[in-house]
Amino acid sequence: MTTVTKYKTAPLKCWQKGKELRLEAYRDLATGHEQGKLMVLGCAATPYGMLAGLGDFVFLAGEPYGASVAADPPVSIPAMELYEAKGYARDMCGYMRNFLGTMFQDKYYFTGGPFPKFDFAWSVRHCPAGHPKWHQIVSEYQGIPMNYIDDETMLGTDGDQQARIDYVAGQYLDSIEWMEKITKRKYDDEKGIEAMRNYFINEGLWGEINLLNGAIPAPLDIKSMFALMPISMLRRHEKVAIEFLTELRDELKERIADKIAAVPNERYRMCMLTPPPWSFLKVFRYLENYGVVFAGTYVYLINSGEVKFLYDEGKVVPATPPEKRPGWKTMKNREDLCRTVARWRAEHPFQSHLETRKKEYVIMFKHWKANAYLLLINRGCVPMTTSMYDFQRDLNRQGIPTSMFEGNFADCRDIDETGVLDRLETFLEGQGIQKIQSL
Amino acid sequence: MITAGIDMGAKTIKVVIVKDNKIVARSMNPTGFEPVQTAEKTLEEAIKQAGISRGDIKKILTTGAGRKSIPFADNSVTEVTADAKGINYLLPSVRTIVDIGAEEARGISSDASGRVLDFSKNDKCAAGAGAFVESMSRALELTVPLMIEISHKSTKDAPINATCAVFAESEVVSLIHTKIDKADIAHAVHDAIASRVCSMVRRIPIEKDVALIGGVANNTAIVEAMKKHLGVEIKVPEKPEYVSALGAALLAAA
Amino acid sequence: MGAIEKFQEVLATRHQYAQDWKKKHNGKAIGWLCTYSPVEIMYAAGMLPVRILGSHEVQDVTDRYLFPTVCPFSRDALAQGLKGRYNYLDGLTMARTCSHVQGTYDNWKNYIPIPFKYYVWQPNHMQSPRAKPLMVQEYKGFIVALEKFTGKKITDQDLGKAIELYNTNRKLMKQVYEFRKKEEPPITGAECMEMVVASQLMDVAEHNKLLEQLLKELPTRKLNRNVGVRLMMVGSEMDDIVFVKMMETLNCTVVIDEHCTGSRYFWDEVKPGKDHVAAIAARYVDRWQCPAVAAEFKPRTDRILKHAKDWSIQGVLVYQQKFCDPHEFDIPSLLKMFKDNNIATLVLEFDVTIPFGQFRTRIEAFLEILELELV
Repeated sequence: MTTVTKYKTAPLKCWQKGKELRLEAYRDLATGHEQGKLMVLGCAATPYGMLAGLGDFVFLAGEPYGASVAADPPVSIPAMELYEAKGYARDMCGYMRNFLGTMFQDKYYFTGGPFPKFDFAWSVRHCPAGHPKWHQIVSEYQGIPMNYIDDETMLGTDGDQQARIDYVAGQYLDSIEWMEKITKRKYDDEKGIEAMRNYFINEGLWGEINLLNGAIPAPLDIKSMFALMPISMLRRHEKVAIEFLTELRDELKERIADKIAAVPNERYRMCMLTPPPWSFLKVFRYLENYGVVFAGTYVYLINSGEVKFLYDEGKVVPATPPEKRPGWKTMKNREDLCRTVARWRAEHPFQSHLETRKKEYVIMFKHWKANAYLLLINRGCVPMTTSMYDFQRDLNRQGIPTSMFEGNFADCRDIDETGVLDRLETFLEGQGIQKIQSL
Repeated sequence: MITAGIDMGAKTIKVVIVKDNKIVARSMNPTGFEPVQTAEKTLEEAIKQAGISRGDIKKILTTGAGRKSIPFADNSVTEVTADAKGINYLLPSVRTIVDIGAEEARGISSDASGRVLDFSKNDKCAAGAGAFVESMSRALELTVPLMIEISHKSTKDAPINATCAVFAESEVVSLIHTKIDKADIAHAVHDAIASRVCSMVRRIPIEKDVALIGGVANNTAIVEAMKKHLGVEIKVPEKPEYVSALGAALLAAA
Repeated sequence: MGAIEKFQEVLATRHQYAQDWKKKHNGKAIGWLCTYSPVEIMYAAGMLPVRILGSHEVQDVTDRYLFPTVCPFSRDALAQGLKGRYNYLDGLTMARTCSHVQGTYDNWKNYIPIPFKYYVWQPNHMQSPRAKPLMVQEYKGFIVALEKFTGKKITDQDLGKAIELYNTNRKLMKQVYEFRKKEEPPITGAECMEMVVASQLMDVAEHNKLLEQLLKELPTRKLNRNVGVRLMMVGSEMDDIVFVKMMETLNCTVVIDEHCTGSRYFWDEVKPGKDHVAAIAARYVDRWQCPAVAAEFKPRTDRILKHAKDWSIQGVLVYQQKFCDPHEFDIPSLLKMFKDNNIATLVLEFDVTIPFGQFRTRIEAFLEILELELV
């Protein structure tokens, strides 16, 4: 065994602040409804900043909630068992199973108290195997109204894409009217616009923060990234998130200038495509024993984050907010808001077509100066899983080593921890990477 | 230089001793419930066979599922690395290795020096592994050698959807009740395993020569079925169940 | 040869049928994967719309492309393409519905050579007033692409004729289904499936002729079998006719269904209108929804219940294509609806091939329970 301590390291200065902001977000999710805020259910990719036009609100994104439960096996397992006892299938989305399980238990994870009754469900539909059918179950169970925005424009390879974007914009507009009707509140266009401006900026900042991990050594380790991500994921519509993410970004730039590493013995860099196994995050700490650092995961670059890919140059740069892009209008009213959001979503890398994604994966691999990709086949997640072998083949064809393992990222019963470590060790051995030990 | 490789398999523990790049001993025992003791015993048997003493062994490397549990080993290496090294010694023209063990199957792509380029494994699924053959032989009330023998005499296909070993066993029971000839069922079992394994192996580039190793490589019915599914000639080295242990011993000498 | 025998022949020789059709009409064949694909438009283009179906054989070719926990139908369909069985197809189309079959389409498009490919990005928010106008746009795009590929304009007349033929097809199949309301249906569930699946493989004009022949045969057709327990089959894609035949040897008859190789495919007609494209679009937006595009349980469960009552069923087989998420979402609501209406259900999970022995036992036990209740 060899011993190498290469880089200096230091804790993040803004870490404590980040923790507080994150806790605030969870507290709001726990008590917001009691405080008279509207409580809305949807998926994390929803432009929930638009809800600000109705007043104060709390948006419970199902997936991060599900991930929180999943990372807590003593809570997760009984919840999922109850979900199954209700007759729902086990091979479905793990996030959803954790979410619905706690709903059926009437145990809200953030408080341990009764599960909240939402005012309504409103979400983008980016996965026909999950959202919004997930919300359909909640809608029926709780007797709440539901609406959704059908906007999977990335699948449109033939025909008129603009007509689809118009259709999406129309649905947003219709849903504002629908929300006014069911909440009996008047929608304040300016408030909705302002919140979405914050949303766009926050996404750009989070994307930029992820890109900064292209530096060697990486200034931010992946576990810390996951810990801070809720600030973007849950508070994208707030100015306080802009302030924090700006501070984090600036601090990371300083760390890069001073060569402060997240992982002091960094010598092999990996990246991922998907969310991690939430009940098995210690795999990243385990891999640090090999000097492996994870520069990032593609999914969180473009989910609660935004970047701009320059395909012809093979590069990626931070995104600018839509209103600052050439040819985009300044939003003045709800029609502008809906059109901007629809177009923004359609052009967002979240909506990249399969073939475009393949290019983006390679661009990110090079940007993050990675040595290999770690591919997790998340059983139960159809969109992320179906083409994974195709992605692997494509990456391998371009000389990019990949290590792949199967498991469920939100079902601790369905991930073989020993098997995963064995597989990773085998892969690293093949790459000539052995365990290292500090002197 | 004398080195030893110990393959701590799920079902059997194998030891190979190599002296100056020559195999001088091989021994094997069922793993049982005391794998460390079994490993000790198997090592001693190999030492006796080689006509050497324990102190003559410069380095011991372990591999296999239980590789980390041996206190007297100097180091461990994964089966994938050991397989590639072992087959490179025995059949240097091989570039694709299929290793079917008792509970795991692997596909390995390697280069001319025996270095691993890529690999694939079955996940939590025993349908493409040796344990399945044994449980099917019990369902057919045959010994494994007899099952292999009659499999070669099959005249008809009786497909089994072996996505899951447990359900495949149910299908075999169904086939028995429909009075399908045991030879055809035996053939179907071997075909199903080969199909599952090939499905997994196809995830890596398949380049000639292709070798089949692991205990199941002694099963000529599986070898035939693999040839059919992959559409290539399959090489089986002598004593294929020892390739991992051999690879570990060779790596210990490197 | 009776009409049913002819349907059976087409099923058994489907690839040859399509190739013969192409030769006879000097035409092209276009494969489709999901019942939301607008067959009227494909037919109006002068093409033979061919539903791509699996073969229910064990296969090991799709694992490189499609992850194994993807619906068996999607995998089986892709396997046929990878094995070259659909090499005679000139085109492939899909309407956006479900992620699993999306995988089939994407891989077919990327790895199996085929001259024409078109993805109809149909709206999935069917309750939205924006859905129909967008569907019209999508169909217009499809028409333009088909015209470019075939080199032939699709006229209003062509569309009108296609609508008429498909509406006739739907009407006639519904008339056949009416016969299944009788105490002694003159047609089994398996035979009906053969009729419907044949409609997805044949030239609709030819199929209509056979339906007319069948409707002449049915009034005097005697099956010489016990009807037994009257069952309904509910689920996703189902073309495992061998299974249904086996089931109907066990003292039961499938008298009605709700699945996409059954009534859900053909039940709704195009309402005539001056604008044929708009009329076709309205049909696909308003049609009996598949769970993959529906966001409400009640419309589907209400419709199923009505069918169940109208056909006097005594039990339901809910079959689930393994890993099919959209239908898995609906099953608990379905089962609750049946329970609330005192209708017994049996749920079976299907794969590319199925364990006949085990399924037989389950069905027999289910029927035994029902028979005791009916005495």
